Amino acid sequence: MNNLVILPVLIPFFTGALLILFSKKQRIQKIISSISSFVILAVAIYLAVYVYQNGITVLEVGDWPAPFGIVLVADMFANIMVILSAIVGVVCLFFTFQTISPKREKYYFYPFYFFLLTGVNGAFLTGDLFNLFVFFEVMLIASYVLIVHGGTKYQLRESFKYVIINVFSSMLFLVAVAYIYSITGTLNMAHLSERVAELEQAGALNVVAVLFFIVFAIKGALFPLYFWLPRSYYGPPAAIAALFGGLLTKVGVYAIIRTFTLIFYHDAGFTHKGIITAIAGFTMLLGVLGAVSQFNFKRILSYHIISQVGYMVMGLGVYTTLAVAGAIYYIVHHIIVKSALFLFAGATEKITGTNDLKQMGGLLKTHPYLAWMFFITALSLAGIPPLSGFFSKFPIILSSFQEEQYVIGGVALLVGLLTLLSMMKIFSYVFWGKQKHTEEQAKYPAGKLLLPIVPLVALTIILGLAAEPIFSYSLMAAEQIMDPTHYIDSVLKE
Amino acid sequence: MFTVNLAIMIPFIAALIIPLVHKKVSRSYIGWVVFIVPAALFVYLASFIPSMAEGNTIVHTWNWIPSIGINFTSYLDGLSMIFGLLITGVGALVVIYSIYYLDHDEMLYHFYVYLLIFMGGMLGVVFSDNIMVLYLFWEMTSISSFLLIAFWYHRKQSRYGAQKSFLITVGGGFAMLAGFIMLYVMTGTFSIREIIASVDDISAHALFIPAMALVLLGAFTKSAQFPFHIWLPDAMEAPTPVSAYLHSATMVKAGIYLVARFTPVFGGGEIWFWIITGVGFITMIWASFNAIRQTDLKALLAYSTVSQLGLIMSLFGMGSAALYFGYSAESVVYTQATFAALFHLVNHSTFKGALFMVIGIVDHEVGTRDIRRLGGLISFMPISFTITLIGSFSMAGVPLFNGFLSKEMFLTAVLNISKLNIFSLENIGAMLPVIAWVASVFTFVYSMIIVFKTFFGKYKEEKLEHQADEPKMGMLIPPIILAVLVVVIFFFPNILGNYVLSPAMSSIYPGFGPNVDLGVEIEQWHGFNTELWMTIGIIITGIVLYLLLKYWKGIFRLFPRRFSFNRLYDNALLFIENRTTNITNMYMTGYLRDYLTYIFLFFIGAAGITLIYTGAFTFDVSNDVPVSMFELIMVVIMLGAGISILFVKSRLAAVLLYGVLGFAIAVFFVIFRAPDLALTQLVVETITTVLFLACFYFLPEWKKEEHDGRTKMTNIIISVGTGLVFILIALGVQHGQLFESISRYFEDAYELAGGMNIVNAILGDFRAFDTMLEVFVLVIAGMGVFSLIKLKSRKGGRKIEDQ
Amino acid sequence: METIIIILAGVLVSVATYLVLSKNLIRVILGTSIFSHAAHLLIMTMGGLKEGSSPLLGEEAATYTDALPQALILTAIVISFGVTSFFLVIAYRAYQETNTDNLDILRGIKDE
Repeated sequence: MNNLVILPVLIPFFTGALLILFSKKQRIQKIISSISSFVILAVAIYLAVYVYQNGITVLEVGDWPAPFGIVLVADMFANIMVILSAIVGVVCLFFTFQTISPKREKYYFYPFYFFLLTGVNGAFLTGDLFNLFVFFEVMLIASYVLIVHGGTKYQLRESFKYVIINVFSSMLFLVAVAYIYSITGTLNMAHLSERVAELEQAGALNVVAVLFFIVFAIKGALFPLYFWLPRSYYGPPAAIAALFGGLLTKVGVYAIIRTFTLIFYHDAGFTHKGIITAIAGFTMLLGVLGAVSQFNFKRILSYHIISQVGYMVMGLGVYTTLAVAGAIYYIVHHIIVKSALFLFAGATEKITGTNDLKQMGGLLKTHPYLAWMFFITALSLAGIPPLSGFFSKFPIILSSFQEEQYVIGGVALLVGLLTLLSMMKIFSYVFWGKQKHTEEQAKYPAGKLLLPIVPLVALTIILGLAAEPIFSYSLMAAEQIMDPTHYIDSVLKE
Repeated sequence: MFTVNLAIMIPFIAALIIPLVHKKVSRSYIGWVVFIVPAALFVYLASFIPSMAEGNTIVHTWNWIPSIGINFTSYLDGLSMIFGLLITGVGALVVIYSIYYLDHDEMLYHFYVYLLIFMGGMLGVVFSDNIMVLYLFWEMTSISSFLLIAFWYHRKQSRYGAQKSFLITVGGGFAMLAGFIMLYVMTGTFSIREIIASVDDISAHALFIPAMALVLLGAFTKSAQFPFHIWLPDAMEAPTPVSAYLHSATMVKAGIYLVARFTPVFGGGEIWFWIITGVGFITMIWASFNAIRQTDLKALLAYSTVSQLGLIMSLFGMGSAALYFGYSAESVVYTQATFAALFHLVNHSTFKGALFMVIGIVDHEVGTRDIRRLGGLISFMPISFTITLIGSFSMAGVPLFNGFLSKEMFLTAVLNISKLNIFSLENIGAMLPVIAWVASVFTFVYSMIIVFKTFFGKYKEEKLEHQADEPKMGMLIPPIILAVLVVVIFFFPNILGNYVLSPAMSSIYPGFGPNVDLGVEIEQWHGFNTELWMTIGIIITGIVLYLLLKYWKGIFRLFPRRFSFNRLYDNALLFIENRTTNITNMYMTGYLRDYLTYIFLFFIGAAGITLIYTGAFTFDVSNDVPVSMFELIMVVIMLGAGISILFVKSRLAAVLLYGVLGFAIAVFFVIFRAPDLALTQLVVETITTVLFLACFYFLPEWKKEEHDGRTKMTNIIISVGTGLVFILIALGVQHGQLFESISRYFEDAYELAGGMNIVNAILGDFRAFDTMLEVFVLVIAGMGVFSLIKLKSRKGGRKIEDQ
Repeated sequence: METIIIILAGVLVSVATYLVLSKNLIRVILGTSIFSHAAHLLIMTMGGLKEGSSPLLGEEAATYTDALPQALILTAIVISFGVTSFFLVIAYRAYQETNTDNLDILRGIKDE
């Protein structure tokens, strides 16, 4: 019992509410939001330390005992996600300061930003299935608003598609909750885990599991449900694209990993090693093929999101402690690197005024820091050691070989190579070659744009060179979620 | 403590410092600062030579990621020592050379940073005992090579060459990684020494052969073995110091190092023997043959490097035969092949390094390296000529130069192996000396081309960009040192043999015991034996062929470029690009309907299959509550309203029907004992309907949906299917709860929360958190509507930032 | 009764799916609204129908109908209302910007 758990949800909530009052005063908005984003980060880290020392921490909201009331549960997995959302929250916010137009600021950009974080953090922390649905809705409605914010033709057109697909998946979510409630008579996830275990996940529960998988797979952009992603992420400003690309899809992945380790783990041969692994393979492959085909900075990145979600889900599919630890590590790595890359795309666009690779060139000479930071991040994305990308991919591939799933392991390696191909394409077009931007553009000071990205690049290096702490954390987190009794005992206090 | 680990890190540290200080150091000194690094490391490593010669090894570990067994363990033994000395020694010379070679107005410090990263990476490769760390450094060398090749990145060819080498070597690296992981799966360790120790347990493992093949793929791509050799000629776009250092002396030998290192693991079997020997021979003859057709001197040298690498590779393959026999007097004959490999490895670095540097000088001084434009430089550049002569003749295997010695040993090894009667050698073994001899003839011919086409013949001033002249002395010193070494090694080969090469032999044959001397006494003269007659034959045939070159050059036309591996690579890339575009455009149509179709189909398929697979579908009406007439009528009304929405022509009618649906549901809520719901539903339904009507005010009247028959049919099938799956699952889960619901708890609402209305108690108290958030959603939606209507980009403006 | 309501919900889902697959913006939105109706009906049914009296403690009945699904539906109704209204505005604005309500024209390949 600890009120600390609700803070990552409440702080952005109240920050957002407060910011509405100051919507016309941009300076105050910036001050409040930056302070608040750091406070969230501090709280998230403090919470992580607390959980690390005291074990899984549970808050029964309104003091109603589990499984009857709503619980918020901070275990190690949820916690690392909250920290990441806080980090990305800070970084994207500061990048926003550099790039956003005052007009957008006036129309509640910052409140929406914090409402989105509220939903995301809530989704990570909640231990109640219906509450998860509600947090998803909070997150989604905020994302609808942000993705269309600014109201360009492109945004309106693609947002419409984004919204409808998500509305359908929400409906499916609701129905799936109804189904599982009908079978088990409960909504608390720990309680669900117990009761599903008693039934040994028989019969209809498998179908319900598939429904949940579809729901989360739509949010997480898995094959063959990811078609909404590449275009809709292209529309909004870079900071939002970074926030979405880094964070939002990972909420879906988080939910998949959570439900398929806590509740639906009884038929792993069929669900995990069968369906999930196959889908992971297709997701990785088709995503990267999409990336290879593109000649647009942001779009290449969007397709990479898909392919990388595949890796994370592959970690779950292989389903050993090491593989799940790899998946967790991968999520950490991905959120950091993918956000950074989108911000690079934004910075490049700000400098050159385009996203088209063929219209750029020679930025290495005029903006060397941008170039090298991008280079490191790109290598990290492709999984070149000693950066974080390698140490997250490596355990997953290792486990797949140990489990004798050579095909998926091989696919993962091949996808790595194709990822590298497309990232080098960006580097070669944008930073090498003859200068195609004007002298005026060449003098554009990139420092302010790059400053918010520096921490992310530093993190991908640190997570690689100093992989041991974060890796052993991931292992512990994986051990925690691979044995649901930890979670159940903490929530139901048996 | 100063350990080898730290020695590996020093170039990286230097690479970090250079960008920070480069502005404070004058451009002409920066190279000298960099020079200190390899020079000092060379001295440091050389200080271990006596200890190594006594058979010692040095191991030191820094813990890195112990939870998965990845630790930074450095392992200094005879084998890694040879490479370490080459890396630092040639490195030091190359740095001096590049000080004079590179123009001072280029992004000089970038060059040195890349070079230092490479140096550290390469040292890491050869000194790492942990294969994961080895892999890390391996990729690092590929990356630095990528950056160095494209150092002049404004040139398209440079970028092309960089990308090509990167894709091929990193692709091979990924294969090698897979092989390493398989080794881990078999042995449970990443340490090479521990893997070697457990080799007896794994040789029958199912993964043994795949792991071997994958590791070799890494080695062959890196060492430019056929058919992966295609990247090396294109890598010649790099500045010449880079070609001399990475692409002839060190990086391309990483694959050879890998083969040598893993010989104790995989060696001794037929597959290993034939893959390596075979690939080595094919590479050697194919590349030496192709070298002759080149007109660019650097490309010629590149092919020659490929060919020489093939030679060394094949020697390691042949040397592995000794492991088949175990240690005995008989097997020592075959270990000589390995010894020859090590010897030629060092020799190649000396003469090829010298040659690259001189060709670089020629290019630097006269502005071209095309042999059709060169000639008669001997009178202008006598020193350069001398160095070229020494390098080329050594490469050709002419006496007085070290290449002669190792070439003779190579021929000896081939002759010995060809007499073996294991590994099916009795059938095709006799072919090997023939191939070796022919390849050596080609080698002789292209060596002559380098010397005579460049320095003899007519001086064509009009075709040169600058007047030919010797360069600054500083630029000549490094190749002179190498050329001197070429000669010195010829006269005193056994100093090298005893102190540097012999210790490496026990690294490759650890199973033979520590006190076995596998060294070979190298002799300049061993009488008129078969090898010597072969050499004499090579020289005579070579001279004849060189003189008649223009008469038989047409033979190269038999190998049209259309079918070359280069073409294959280019087409593969093009294919990937086009194919992926096709595939992606095929499904990313932009039609919402398509996206939804995929989603619905997947839903129907996945849920439907699971339903059948698990036998979850049950149908049981016994628990159903009875139906009254009124309810039945309501159901019929709803069905009617729902279905007719699809058919009505006017949108107004559709929305009214939708309203009917909503209100009917409210009635159902009343029937189902849910008064609160009924009320809410009524209110919400009314507002929603009004909103729809308001929207109609702004939007045009519906047009008739025009779908072709097929689309219509799919739509119907999908819709019915989706509905059906929902029904089937609902029926499957619905019959009777197996557990008591948690909502029984809420029936004590009055005692717990003081509420009489349980639903309200749940909303207001038990699950108040949900309610709060639900309102929150509404607020966000409201604000969203407001900002969406107010915040507009100007018509046609794509980005609001651009205004 | 349950079976009948389930089938009714299923039919509504089919109708909604068909609407969602059409070209017209408003028809699509209409489809999503019908989806949520179907979902609410399903939740209701899953809790068991008419098993007791209304969940009002004053009625002093032996059993009450399951109150939890009702609470859930209430939350869901409000949320889906919020989403639908925002969705309608997007449609309106999309029409304003693009001058079409036809999703085939809104596929947007050309301006890439």
